[in-house]
Amino acid sequence: MSLTLALALALAFLAAGCGQPLNPGAKPGEMVYYSEGGDIKGFDPVKASDVDTALQVCKIYEGLLEYDYLYRPYRLVPNLAESLPEVSADGLTYTFRIKKGIYFQDDPCFPGGKGREVTAEDFIYSFKRTMDAKNVSTGSWVFAGHVLGVDEWAKASEDLARPTDYARPIPGFEAPDRYTLRIRLKAPYPQLLWTLTMQYSFATPREAVEYYKGDFINHPVGTGPYRLKSWRRNYRMEFERNPTYHDARYPSVGEPRDREKGLLDDAGKRLPFIDRIILYEVREYYTWWQMFLRGQIYSVGISKDYFNKVINQDLELTPEMARRGIKLYKEPQMDVFYIGFNWEDPVVGGGKTPDEAERHRKLRQAIACAIHQKQLSEFYNGRVIPASGPITPGIAGYNPNKPYPWRFDLDKARRLLAEAGYPGGKDARTGQRLRLALDMGGAGDAEARQMGQMFVEFLRAIGIDMSINFSLQPEHWRKLERKETQMFTSGWVMDYPDAQNVLQLWYGPNESPGVNHCNYRNPEFDKLYERILTMQDTPERAQLYEQMADMMIADCPCAFLHHRLIYALMQKFVANFKPHDFPYANMKFYKVLKH
Amino acid sequence: MTAYIIRRLFTVIPITLGVLLLVFVIYRVIGGDPAARLAGKNATPQKIEQIRKQFGYDKPRFFNWGAAFAPLATPARQWWEVTFKDVIGDKPGWNDWKEATLKCQPLAVFDSQFWHLVRRFAQLDFGRSLQSNQRISTMIAEGVVPSLCVTTPIFVIELSVAIALALLCAYYRNTWIDRTFVVISIVAMSISGLVYIMLGQYFFAFSLGWFPVWGFEGPAYVALPVAIGVVAGLGGSLRFYRTIMLDEMYQDYVRTAFAKGCSQREVLFKHVLKNALIPILTNVVVAIPFLYTGALLLESFFGIPGLGRMTVDAIYTGDEPVLFAMVFIGSVIFVIANLITDLCYTWADPRIRLQ
Repeated sequence: MSLTLALALALAFLAAGCGQPLNPGAKPGEMVYYSEGGDIKGFDPVKASDVDTALQVCKIYEGLLEYDYLYRPYRLVPNLAESLPEVSADGLTYTFRIKKGIYFQDDPCFPGGKGREVTAEDFIYSFKRTMDAKNVSTGSWVFAGHVLGVDEWAKASEDLARPTDYARPIPGFEAPDRYTLRIRLKAPYPQLLWTLTMQYSFATPREAVEYYKGDFINHPVGTGPYRLKSWRRNYRMEFERNPTYHDARYPSVGEPRDREKGLLDDAGKRLPFIDRIILYEVREYYTWWQMFLRGQIYSVGISKDYFNKVINQDLELTPEMARRGIKLYKEPQMDVFYIGFNWEDPVVGGGKTPDEAERHRKLRQAIACAIHQKQLSEFYNGRVIPASGPITPGIAGYNPNKPYPWRFDLDKARRLLAEAGYPGGKDARTGQRLRLALDMGGAGDAEARQMGQMFVEFLRAIGIDMSINFSLQPEHWRKLERKETQMFTSGWVMDYPDAQNVLQLWYGPNESPGVNHCNYRNPEFDKLYERILTMQDTPERAQLYEQMADMMIADCPCAFLHHRLIYALMQKFVANFKPHDFPYANMKFYKVLKH
Repeated sequence: MTAYIIRRLFTVIPITLGVLLLVFVIYRVIGGDPAARLAGKNATPQKIEQIRKQFGYDKPRFFNWGAAFAPLATPARQWWEVTFKDVIGDKPGWNDWKEATLKCQPLAVFDSQFWHLVRRFAQLDFGRSLQSNQRISTMIAEGVVPSLCVTTPIFVIELSVAIALALLCAYYRNTWIDRTFVVISIVAMSISGLVYIMLGQYFFAFSLGWFPVWGFEGPAYVALPVAIGVVAGLGGSLRFYRTIMLDEMYQDYVRTAFAKGCSQREVLFKHVLKNALIPILTNVVVAIPFLYTGALLLESFFGIPGLGRMTVDAIYTGDEPVLFAMVFIGSVIFVIANLITDLCYTWADPRIRLQ
């Protein structure tokens, strides 16, 4: 009797929970997109530093400019600006006309709960928020050192005893009238336009910041295509169409093959297409994959462990996946991964005398020549392409015809090693075998461990003993910041499609704890870097990028490994998807077909 | 008894201080300050320095001797230079020392990173997460219920089933039933928890569709993680409780009870189980503090928005305020759970007196 009762109770308990399915489905005529959302930190544009968070912030907030979704190579088009800015002849003043009739979404922070019109002052306020030291924005680099008066204003905001004075003007940000924004620079800064597509420069209403105060991070109020309906941290997020979204249209121009792919079928139609977006914060790929196959989420990346189950030897979908109608997208990423050498290390560093510098350079080159990029590519199931320098394919400065001089070549590696004073991997003076240490993040990660073992084998082939120090990622960063490594693995994902963004990694004044973790110093390189910083996008600048890349490749402060190829799977009923290196604001272009 | 409880509650202070100190040393002394991570990937050294100042990472870690005794520096330097460096001048007199001493602010010695942390935690102000800038108290409040929704049923079911099976094994000791359970529990213990999770999720949720693959929308969503949690932990628990029960089965009082003609059931439930309560209580109450930390793997695979996931994320991202808060709360709960254990002992065994 008691057993029956217990069973009945258990069944009732389960039945009670079955009433709420994970994907309740769309209402008639409604378009719903289900997705995986990663680890989302909040909705304050000035603090959205990671990809997962930026992707969500860009659904709600917008900036003056955006990427032309279909066009390649990447170019900018106006978003909240009426047109691209007028740039003064000296390249120091950018004047933007802001579209009239753009409204912040309705929110209790506004009088009567009705969103008000966006003006030039909103951009100035938002830029100031990025520069306000109290906000600890990861995006202050966008304006710091470039815009007139911005550094002084930021310095004044460091005073913790007093609230930041937002009424104090910044000479570099002016609003001559309600719809005109003028940005004045200290020196030409052509990258400014790219950075204006980033969340750090998006329009934020002052009312919302002051109304929600410390909780503003959880109450986004933007002009974007969506507004946040609900958010359960670490679990689920729901966005719904912003009813007051401005008249944005699907692009009419793309690459030549876009039309046959159906990517231009919706040209000129009003955005967004999807009514609701539901995001699940799924952490395990194993779960993510099962949810994708069950149709609970509409897109998924392909992890290394699943690659062979999904992709065949021709790097296309396996018949089973193709039968399901799943669509495969592959695209090179704008990033670069490398093994860095600490320039201050007494063995592999820059060296103190010209002779030492030369020997150390040869040692670094020998190590670079021992790295078997093809084997690494196989390890990643072909999901990477060997890097031939710091500049990624597809941007100015990249020369596909220039081979990487330190491509895998064991004979060359041994010769360079001997010239460096280590014939056969042994120190010519002491007869002792050369021992090096490589620091890697991803402690506890099987893939990192396997890769570390491969590096050990690569160097063993030329007679060098190498040990690997694995650390958790925060500890790895800390070691790099404190210059505590000899060699280390690292990478860089581009913030915008301009080689300057990656070349800063080897600019001397950026040494650790800055981004130059190699602590590389080359006055000539630094001089060129300072020069390109103020140059407009011209063939001459592209030539200088190439020259800088050549210079540092010859010095070899790092051994370049690869650029990633991103493989993504999409359900057959998702339309208008085109891979993009900066996809943050692209959800408004996607469409879910009836299925 | 009341005095004993109050005395024990006071031990929370040194224990939590010690635990905080340990975590602080791991993260701030060995691990360094997180200013560079907060500054983001394009940060300049100046920006990092400014953040260091803003968050107080520029203060001394443990004691701020400089702020407390700075006025003494001038007479001390003067005395040193005149005495040992042959600098011409007078040595500071008694009045100089007195004047400088009066200007000292001894309490400023606690104007340091560690003592600021202690002061905040004493006021139950856990601050904000470095990664998400969310209030940590809110994060914990939101995560604790989902965690308990998984860990509490696992704990209760596993405990009940393990004790019941342990009694069964004790009753049928050295028969095939007992041996079968021993073999099964050893096999169960040998398999990684991850295997149970992956197989369970694949077969029962993905292939058969009996349960949801992922989510936290109602009881049905925690049924499979709970079942997996119970199965994964049952082997070890059964072995532990079986050993306790068997120890008791060979005691004189059991033999006496049987000799007096008590039934098997009476001996097992009235005598053996009651006498085995002390080690069971120890094991149970000590396990209770860990319920709040959640079940990391189960939460990760099944989408339970609990504290296990939050804590591990904090470890991987170096979000030390979250870790400090979790460790602090954990240590307080641990001390209280130990106190409850001691109180339960007096209930389970009237011979025990707390002094």
